[in-house]
Amino acid sequence: MHGLRLGIPITFGYIPMGIGYAALAIKAGLTPFETVSMSVLIYAGAGQIMIATMLAQGATLFNIVLTSFVLNFRYFVMNTCIYNKVDDASLAVRIPSSHLAVDEAFAMFMLMEESSIWTYIGLAGIAWLSWIFGAIIGVIVLNVLPIIVANSFNISLYALFVALLVPAVKESKELAILVVITAILNVVLQFFIGNWSLIIAILLGALIGMYIVDDDTVLGDEYKAADETCSNKEVQQ
Amino acid sequence: MNITLLIILCALVTFIPRVIPAIFMERLNFSPKFEKFLNLIPYTALAALICPGVLTVDPNLWYIGLIGAVIAGGLAWKKVPLGAIVILTVIVLVAVYLIVPFFPVLI
Repeated sequence: MHGLRLGIPITFGYIPMGIGYAALAIKAGLTPFETVSMSVLIYAGAGQIMIATMLAQGATLFNIVLTSFVLNFRYFVMNTCIYNKVDDASLAVRIPSSHLAVDEAFAMFMLMEESSIWTYIGLAGIAWLSWIFGAIIGVIVLNVLPIIVANSFNISLYALFVALLVPAVKESKELAILVVITAILNVVLQFFIGNWSLIIAILLGALIGMYIVDDDTVLGDEYKAADETCSNKEVQQ
Repeated sequence: MNITLLIILCALVTFIPRVIPAIFMERLNFSPKFEKFLNLIPYTALAALICPGVLTVDPNLWYIGLIGAVIAGGLAWKKVPLGAIVILTVIVLVAVYLIVPFFPVLI
């Protein structure tokens, strides 16, 4: 119960974002059932948005699956930290709870003193439920909303992308340069390799970033603190 | 395309990397370089997702997305909370859509 309350701030972001995702998914031609299923089964904010965007752009199945894998692989790193931190728990608890890993829940939990897996499940679980809830509201509401409002919801995800990127770019000039380089790469590559440009630009961008971005600026303050907590744990072990 | 298959495959490639560390609780080691590479991916992914996609938010009016991005960027610069940024941007775009028909030049 304690964890549920801690997760409430996350829900404020996830419900509107979930609605925005649903708008995009429906526009891309998914049924309401498929739209909500993705939120339940895949549960990856940017990942799902990317799937909907790529579907709308006519990408192939293989291309979409591969891009999902690359974009969502960071959860591997996050869960490595989370399951290093939690007190011992049985496999029956650890396996289903691993599905709840997302950036916001990870950052929050890693910054806490507490290491109970149930606290983590509470806060990460309510984030998951609010994401699903947002998608459900989205598919219901978009049917009754006037077309102008529904169209305006298309921007919500881009608004969120920009809002996530701006604080990082504001902090680091190198990161800002990397963002511009990646954007240009994506536009240019589209002329040569079509839909593959997204994944190639993401990977090439990260590779270039390894040389131009300072080690310390790669992570935001909360992530940095979270990462330290993670490394401290390693040292203790 | 078979959407059911797509959802199942995407769910699998997302879940497998999530579940491996939960099963093997002992530390999995990465080189700091690889970790840096992984940490950069969310930023480059956001950049690639935004550009040029934001210009096709409304296929008929390319500048709609640009207006939205500029507003969201400005609000984020002023440290407005995420949820508020999304809602305010949508509200401004509704206003833009309402105004556009009065200025045929914009269409």
